[in-house]
Amino acid sequence: MHSDALLERARQGDKNAQGKLVQLWYKRIYNFSYKFFFDHDLAMEVSQKTFISMHRNLIGLQDVARFKSWLYTIAVNYCREELRKRKTTRSVSLNDFPAGEDEVSYRWETSSGRSDNPEKQFRHTELSDLLQQCLMELSAEQREVVIMKEYEGLKFREIADALQVSENTVKSRMYYGLDGLKKILEKKNITKEALGYEL
Amino acid sequence: MNYKPDEGTLMAYLYGELDAAETERVEQYLQQHPQVQEQLHQLSTVRKRMGALNDVEVIAPPVFVDHEQRSIPFWKEGYFKITMGIAASFLFLLIAARLIGPEVTYSNGELRISFNDTPKKTTQEQLLTTNEVQQMINSSLVKNNETIAANWEESNQKIQESLQRNLNTNSARIDKLVSGVSAASQDQVRTFVAGMQEENLKLMKDYFQLSAKDQQVYVENLLVDFTKYLHEQRKQDLMLFQTRMNSIEKNTDQFKQETEQILASIISNPEGTIRKVNNY
Repeated sequence: MHSDALLERARQGDKNAQGKLVQLWYKRIYNFSYKFFFDHDLAMEVSQKTFISMHRNLIGLQDVARFKSWLYTIAVNYCREELRKRKTTRSVSLNDFPAGEDEVSYRWETSSGRSDNPEKQFRHTELSDLLQQCLMELSAEQREVVIMKEYEGLKFREIADALQVSENTVKSRMYYGLDGLKKILEKKNITKEALGYEL
Repeated sequence: MNYKPDEGTLMAYLYGELDAAETERVEQYLQQHPQVQEQLHQLSTVRKRMGALNDVEVIAPPVFVDHEQRSIPFWKEGYFKITMGIAASFLFLLIAARLIGPEVTYSNGELRISFNDTPKKTTQEQLLTTNEVQQMINSSLVKNNETIAANWEESNQKIQESLQRNLNTNSARIDKLVSGVSAASQDQVRTFVAGMQEENLKLMKDYFQLSAKDQQVYVENLLVDFTKYLHEQRKQDLMLFQTRMNSIEKNTDQFKQETEQILASIISNPEGTIRKVNNY
């Protein structure tokens, strides 16, 4: 995704290289945060904070090979911080409600471009929301592991490095996370046939 | 073969993160344990279903980082300003002390910073003992008591003299006034009593005159009223008597008529009357 040379230049304060890193990793960090919160605003906030922190602390990163897990460590920490704030304030974001076809939906700001068929796109959005709701029913610990593994494609070693726990702990959380999702999908009656129909 | 892969190993197998030897061992185990294989298959199905959740497209916004923060010169840092402030204060103090003439002494655990001559310590304070202080206090108290007693005696004497003098003066004045008053009062009393007697006599005279006249009128009126009353009473009695007499006279006349009628009837029919009497 990025070359070591780009990272090295960014570490040395090259603004163009730093900007390039943001462009390369913004989508990944945003999607990780979005799947964690199912909230656009919170995902944007965590992403912004993560990259600001990356700019400030990149010079202190000794091993450039650890950049990926290091970046996710920052993102996870901000996610946990926001989660604590939300638990304390118990605020309700307007984006907690299904975005649907509302005119003010942020979804209009994003361009999926995956399909030209509006009906198919609508069904896909509905399915995504449904699966996202399943994901939100997991505990935060299981959710962050499942997202990192399943959607971000990190190796167990990288996840353990990012979360600063043992690899076995990560695998265990993953196992129970998948098992939990299986039960949630069964409870919501999301079968292969239903998925086939939606898709 | 007692090999049994744990949950972690199964996860690593599911995601293809096991080495070749370990993968083979797990596969052999799964062939012998179809229920575990089925379980793993179900988890794999969950992965496929959850795989339908795709990424959200997003455009990276510009991230502004305050790069200037790193290039803040050290003399603008907060801690440097505070340190320099304290140092400047000390420097100012030292210069002021130098100009005015400082004296810094340290003795007996006491630090003195003065800008004039060091006050000479009075050794007397240090030499004084508790008993001496007590004696000083006692002697001071005795002196004070004596002074107060003398002042009190003097004041008392002055007050006594003043009182005596005032008393004598006032007594003389009072005697004079009393003698003057007593001398003057005899003639006045006589005149006053005579005036009183005359006035009383006059009042009594007037009173008796007035009361005698009033009593005379009152008695006359009383007699007249009583006479009228008697006259009226007599009149009423006479009327009553007349009425009674009239009544008696009337009764007598009626009785006389009845008697006459009876006699007349007897005379007119003597036989019938005798018969009737015999029937009875």
